[in-house]
Amino acid sequence: MSDSSVSLADIISTVEFNYSGDLLATGDKGGRVVIFQREQENKSRPHSRGEYNVYSTFQSHEPEFDYLKSLEIEEKINKIRWLPQQNAAHFLLSTNDKTIKLWKISERDKRAEGYNLKDEDGRLRDPFRITALRVPKLKPMDLMVEASPRRIFANAHTYHINSISVNSDHETYLSADDLRINLWHLEITDRSFNIVDIKPVNMEELTEVITAAEFHPHQCNVFVYSSSKGTVRLCDMRSSALCDRHSKFFEEPEDPSSRSFFSEIISSISDVKFSHSGRYMMTRDYLSVKVWDLNMESRPVETHQVHEYLRSKLCSLYENDCIFDKFECCWSGSDSAIMTGSYNNFFRMFDRNTRRDVTLEASRENSKPRASLKPRKVCTGGKRKKDEISVDSLDFNKKILHTAWHPAENIIAVAATNNLYIFQDKVN
Amino acid sequence: MEFKLEAHRIVSISLGKIYNSRVQRGGIKLHKNLLVSLVLRSARQVYLSDPCPGLYLAGPAGSPAVPPPQPGEPAAGPPAGWGEPPPPAAGAAWPEIEPQPERPADPATPRAGDAEPGAPMTGAGETVRGGEVEAAEAAWRRVEGPREAAEGGAGGPAGGSDGFPEGLREARRHCGCPPGAADRPGPLGACPRVDCCCAPRPAEDEPPAPPAVGPRKRGAAGVGGGPAPGSSPLKKPRRNSEEQSGGAAEEEEEEEMETGNVANLISIFGSSFSGLLRKSPGGGREEGEGEESGPEAAEPGQICCDKPVLRDINPWSTAIVAF
Repeated sequence: MSDSSVSLADIISTVEFNYSGDLLATGDKGGRVVIFQREQENKSRPHSRGEYNVYSTFQSHEPEFDYLKSLEIEEKINKIRWLPQQNAAHFLLSTNDKTIKLWKISERDKRAEGYNLKDEDGRLRDPFRITALRVPKLKPMDLMVEASPRRIFANAHTYHINSISVNSDHETYLSADDLRINLWHLEITDRSFNIVDIKPVNMEELTEVITAAEFHPHQCNVFVYSSSKGTVRLCDMRSSALCDRHSKFFEEPEDPSSRSFFSEIISSISDVKFSHSGRYMMTRDYLSVKVWDLNMESRPVETHQVHEYLRSKLCSLYENDCIFDKFECCWSGSDSAIMTGSYNNFFRMFDRNTRRDVTLEASRENSKPRASLKPRKVCTGGKRKKDEISVDSLDFNKKILHTAWHPAENIIAVAATNNLYIFQDKVN
Repeated sequence: MEFKLEAHRIVSISLGKIYNSRVQRGGIKLHKNLLVSLVLRSARQVYLSDPCPGLYLAGPAGSPAVPPPQPGEPAAGPPAGWGEPPPPAAGAAWPEIEPQPERPADPATPRAGDAEPGAPMTGAGETVRGGEVEAAEAAWRRVEGPREAAEGGAGGPAGGSDGFPEGLREARRHCGCPPGAADRPGPLGACPRVDCCCAPRPAEDEPPAPPAVGPRKRGAAGVGGGPAPGSSPLKKPRRNSEEQSGGAAEEEEEEEMETGNVANLISIFGSSFSGLLRKSPGGGREEGEGEESGPEAAEPGQICCDKPVLRDINPWSTAIVAF
């Protein structure tokens, strides 16, 4: 598919597995949410185990126009976060730049038949004609998946929302924009509690913005937020109502020898994720992924280069705006591996135990069903070996910004522009 | 010299991005524009600190060598490590970068509440603007400096310029001395030619003239004309083959590019720039005055970008403001 024929609205803007991994939600620039469900194991179709098929599609957000400020509000879904499942229905939060919505996704596979007051096709029956009463019976019907908005959390953010994160208490969640973080209760839509505010009194003094925020997976009073200056602050909500003072401050001193015009841009953190264990967190900046031990603020415990060969191309990447791309990162279920995206539909995986890394490509030409992915290599200079790709032939329009890892198994979801790829470990 | 070129190019690109951000869907992105303004700042500092022999050496304390670093300005230090280390003169010319407070905008800042105070904001804005006008003038003068130094017999403004804007020619005396030269002490101030006509110069020709007259005329001449940014690549190969401390022709080409570029940018900005400045921050201030309710609603969304970004792009901004 050529780039020109890709509709902008179809570009996937977020990917997220639910807690069990059976559901995978994607959001796109057109404000739609598509949910995939994993096929159940079925003896008659042994190969279909693990396949994800479309489960539900709905329009989450529409474009809006703020007449007071003459601003258009994009319908693009910035983030989706699932709630832990508590009953038969599934709940997720989806957000655009300004409004967060709680959606309930429920199944209906039975239908009541035999109403007294209306016919099967819905027409009202003449009450005088009814001579007998009957009890409506539930009959099976084709599975229908309905999505309905249960809560709308609006008007709490002046700036663009970049993150939402559900708390481990399953009652509250946070939403973060460029300058503020708000705490919500899932049941209450008309108020939120501001817990971080870095807006300076004089906007001319603005030097950094919030780029991502997340709650700790186990400690419901702890959250972190990253900044455009490459720092992460960990805050404890027990210490004060307004968490402008951090409890911990994570920053790696800059290497002065690598300073350039673009040092500030490439140090801006685009994503921060806690490990499942809660002991580590990972940050993604433009060229690298760093793993931090929460007990050590002075520097990360691991640094993985994603595409260091781009360091000499920063000026071009600034010109074509690629340097502003916000890559996400994710942990494997066991925290033994981490994954993040790159250009040319490449994505990178780092095994923390073996210290090995691999570059893979998400593209139709290179992946047939049930064929293994071949590792790719980028040639950084000198002679290009066979099968290597030179830096100059990378396609910077094909970027993988969003990836997700199944919480328990080695199944990954990779969003390449408007296509979703799902890969899994070979099962013998 | 390469730093200057690169910096100049980056400044143009950055200004273009800021301009384009106004028409992007979803409103101005604060994060991206903040990053662009940081790049702009770095590039500007490199551009202004890139030494041309002898001329940027620190003047007396009173000389407006560098705009007072605004609070919160990142310590984008001397351009060390960007390839070859710049000659020591650059370091000398560059005043101490004050060790900035780590995160000045941040936690300890007393929150005055969310409602934008109308009056204080205006006051602060005006003060800053005043300081920037000075800085802009200094920048313009300094920019003209190299031409003067290398001047001696190079042929003055008429020499070798395609589309050299009228305005700049007028702003410079035909002897090639920068306006206001007589008033400035030190090597920058002295007119290189003994028979210079500008020696006794009345004080009133001073500050308002260069930034106000120049850009305005430049704008008029530059609309649709002037060397487009595209002309830079053409000049590059020639530049590389010339010596660094080279002829005036080189300096002049550089000045042409710069002013031509500014002309284009001003023609782009001019029609809507005052609107850009006034609409949100100014408009926001006016609306914000006396507005108590809904602090969130009181802040225009656009305010989040325009002010810090535009303040950062002086001297361009001030020149354009004057326009």
